[in-house]
Amino acid sequence: MAIRPIDAARIERANFWWRVGSLAPAIIVLALLSIWPVFNLGYLSLSDVKWVSGSAVVDFVGLRNFHELFTGEAVYWAGVRNTIVFAICAVTLQMIFGFTMALAVRRASKIGRSVLTAIFLLPIVIPPIVIGAMWRLLLGRDFGIVNALLSFLSLPEVDWLGDPRFALISVVIVDVWHWTPFVFLLTLAGLESLDQEVFEAAKLDVKNRWQELRYITIPLMMPTILITLAFRMILSFKVFDEVFLLTGGGPGTATEVINFSINRVFFAQDRVGMGSAMSLLTIFGVAVLIVLANTVVRRRRKQRETA
Amino acid sequence: MSEKKTGRYTRRTLGKLMAGLSVAACLTAPAFAQDAGTIRILISQSPWLNSFVALVDQYQKDTGTKFQLDVTPFGGMVDKMRNSVRAQQGSYDIININAQGLAEMYAGGFLKPLKQIDASFTLPDGVLDFGGSAYWNATKNSFDPKGELLGVPTNGNVLVLYYRSDLYKHAGLKVPKTWDELMANAKKLHNPPKTYGFVSRGTRESVLFDFSPVLFSHGGSFFADPENGDFSVTLNSPQGLQALETFIKLNKEVGSGNAGALEQAELIQLLSTGKAAQGTAVIAAVADLQDPNKSIVTDTIETALLPAGPGGKHASVAGHWMAGIPKNVPDANQKAALKFLKWFLQKDTQVAYTQAGGIPIRKDLSDTRLAGDPAYRFIKAFSENADVAKMNTPLKEGVRMKEVISLYLNRALIGEISPKDALNGAATEVNQILTAAGYKLTPPKML
Amino acid sequence: MKAKTSLSGIGGNLIAWGYALIILGPMIWILSNSFKRQIDILMGTTIAPFTLVNYQLIINSRQSHFLWNLWNSAVVSVISTLVVLVIATLAAFTVARLEPPRWVTFILLGWALVFHMLPTLTFVGSWYVMFTQAGLHGTYTALILAQVVQGLPMALFLMIGFVMNIPRELVQAARLDGCTYAQVFRHLIFPLSLGGMAAAGALSFISAWSDFAIALNLSNKDTMTAPVAIATFAQEHQILYGQMAAASMLSMIPALAFIMFGQRFVVRGLLAGAVK
Repeated sequence: MAIRPIDAARIERANFWWRVGSLAPAIIVLALLSIWPVFNLGYLSLSDVKWVSGSAVVDFVGLRNFHELFTGEAVYWAGVRNTIVFAICAVTLQMIFGFTMALAVRRASKIGRSVLTAIFLLPIVIPPIVIGAMWRLLLGRDFGIVNALLSFLSLPEVDWLGDPRFALISVVIVDVWHWTPFVFLLTLAGLESLDQEVFEAAKLDVKNRWQELRYITIPLMMPTILITLAFRMILSFKVFDEVFLLTGGGPGTATEVINFSINRVFFAQDRVGMGSAMSLLTIFGVAVLIVLANTVVRRRRKQRETA
Repeated sequence: MSEKKTGRYTRRTLGKLMAGLSVAACLTAPAFAQDAGTIRILISQSPWLNSFVALVDQYQKDTGTKFQLDVTPFGGMVDKMRNSVRAQQGSYDIININAQGLAEMYAGGFLKPLKQIDASFTLPDGVLDFGGSAYWNATKNSFDPKGELLGVPTNGNVLVLYYRSDLYKHAGLKVPKTWDELMANAKKLHNPPKTYGFVSRGTRESVLFDFSPVLFSHGGSFFADPENGDFSVTLNSPQGLQALETFIKLNKEVGSGNAGALEQAELIQLLSTGKAAQGTAVIAAVADLQDPNKSIVTDTIETALLPAGPGGKHASVAGHWMAGIPKNVPDANQKAALKFLKWFLQKDTQVAYTQAGGIPIRKDLSDTRLAGDPAYRFIKAFSENADVAKMNTPLKEGVRMKEVISLYLNRALIGEISPKDALNGAATEVNQILTAAGYKLTPPKML
Repeated sequence: MKAKTSLSGIGGNLIAWGYALIILGPMIWILSNSFKRQIDILMGTTIAPFTLVNYQLIINSRQSHFLWNLWNSAVVSVISTLVVLVIATLAAFTVARLEPPRWVTFILLGWALVFHMLPTLTFVGSWYVMFTQAGLHGTYTALILAQVVQGLPMALFLMIGFVMNIPRELVQAARLDGCTYAQVFRHLIFPLSLGGMAAAGALSFISAWSDFAIALNLSNKDTMTAPVAIATFAQEHQILYGQMAAASMLSMIPALAFIMFGQRFVVRGLLAGAVK
């Protein structure tokens, strides 16, 4: 069916406005509420803000905040180290547990599956602030249930939150408890969307379940796994609420995390200049990580394609 | 000029945009119009809130003044306060400021000097000011009783010594006068993990606070002469070292063994479940420890003056709250707010406040009807401690100082570094920060 | 062969139910705490006198009106989730299928990603100033707008994934029939991405429902959401564990119902290929 030129022009015009109009809300919301604050961060990171007789006095100090951040601020750097260790450990465990549970649940009977899914999703809906407070009680040294359980099994009790050697491990445990369901949810969806015919066809080639997992399921699931990994990594770099009530960053700097430093410098100490510098440096660091990861993934894909 | 113009322009556009978006939400949003004569108060959610609310209700009944209380989690108080006082129009007529945030609010010039609202206003005799913390001297940058009157205390929280009278009686012990006697008592009572001899807080959030009285009573100090604006760092003195060694010894040898992770909640847990025989905690904890729903030691927990150092000097540390009236609210509101605060300070009001479960802010209540009542047996220890209570880091960089010093103290407490290195490290870093901030200081002498 | 499968099936079941126990244990413990007195919680008593006082205190006392807080949470999360979905789906269709100028896509998505990585806390101060100047501080509008911008990046990425999954040929065919983009969207994209919207909506709802940092600073007494109210139980001098547990239980019910009923929908939505 041919379209008359006048109609075509009208449609073209409508379409142009549709394209503009459909993107506009997203752009306006982001521009209004996110770009200005970030410009603000950039500006503040080069300044020193003081409050005199009720109004702000902003001194331009160039890169002094960044210089200080690189030469001093040991707590922030301890936080960077901890956050990286935390993110890698927690996300790795979450991926393994979440994926395992997704595989297990997929095999379960229909009723079992929906009951299990509902149970697994419970932790996601508890406010993180509660998770921190409750686990602090659970992991408490003198009255905590976890230690009571250990002593019941005649294992040595552990000072989960007070011993610098265990504090970060405890935070990882709590985070794994909280966020494994997220990985579970996404990987389960991924698994169910896999093409069953591939499995049927492959049945002749693989000897056992393990091989099926190794050579078929995991390669097919790679996109899902990578996306989930990326989501979790980004979110675990933002970890804050749980640590807030669980350990408060201590003992010493054993569980200090980046967001904690930023929050304290920004809000408790009210050094907005340094806080902004920390935020920007963190963004930059994460951006570099993402670009690196992207390049690696792309290069590997290319290698595979040429091979 | 032009900057201001664009600023206003964008603000207006923004306003319109958002007004458009808000139509739907406004239909369901609770009205938040403020009628004249409503005093808007920012206050922290805490155990003493009920008593404050009781007074507010009483005042409302007596005078017809309306109140609007914004009850905020403790962790969000500072943010809300800053946001309000820095805005063009404040959201609160009275803000309750924790000891730690006082210097920042005072130095920032956000608060209306109370004498400008009512020239005849002074703090009545008998009202505690915790080391001059109601006054600020802007030229010296310090809490100076000769400075401007900016705040009125609303909660007299100080650190006190808690002990168990039944355990004392059983072991034939007396209330300790010095830290050494406290140590001796603790040794007799220490029987872990059933009973700990002495507990105090040691996390990065709280160690400085609990260490301060030990430091002060040993003759040590954080700064040379804070009242007169000399903030030269004196923390790493021989007295300071002795104090820190005592503090660590108490926590290591007769303590819970995990002081580095002991926060207020755990400390009170140890006390209220009868696991701790003695401990330092804020007087505000009394309410919990005497509440049968929260404690099993309601009748046997006692309070006392904190022990003295080797020189016989007693000291405590102020964790009180002050009410300030921001500049950026209408005059009428300021007047009404001050009128309420005046009433609040009266002796009768304070007696009622205490009876409702509050921590009073007067030291002259021992001759009132509270005296004979065992429920208020803490009043004596409260007054004694409040009398010798000081601010620990009384400058506008106080929060940062606290965090820097606390980290060193906490690390010394958990054994990561030696007490000497901790004090030297803290002193060096504090000196650096304050020098960079423009203070004229004598550099600290290393231990 | 058959024995082996059922054996591994049992193994899988064991693992799954074992893990379910690890999740349920603490949950049941929180639930039981909500019926205990503070001192019993502190003592770690397993079997303690039953009391409803925690629920009574949080629902109806001078200091706490938790049901109202829940209502606030519901208003904010539901409206912000709907807004996020509309905005994200509209934008996703255009980005994925209508080939807007590359730089627009690049800036929009790049920025969304960067913004998604930023700690929320660093924005809250700026938002506070903006909303106060616009006279919106403490209103639902402020909270909703903040949640919208907070949830938008993730929803955008998910929705683009979904729309990409709708065969390009379908869109082209509709275009050849003379449909405008608006018509394509209404009759084709919208119905086909409903599943995706359920998934993105679920995630954005959960994040809005449990947000603490934003609501803490942008709400006032009348618009205080549940997590902020819960945080008020962690006070300066004590943590009211019983009341906190009771409040958590109440705040979980709506989210739980949401999951129970929406679960299949959500999983099917994600399954439609969001994660590709």
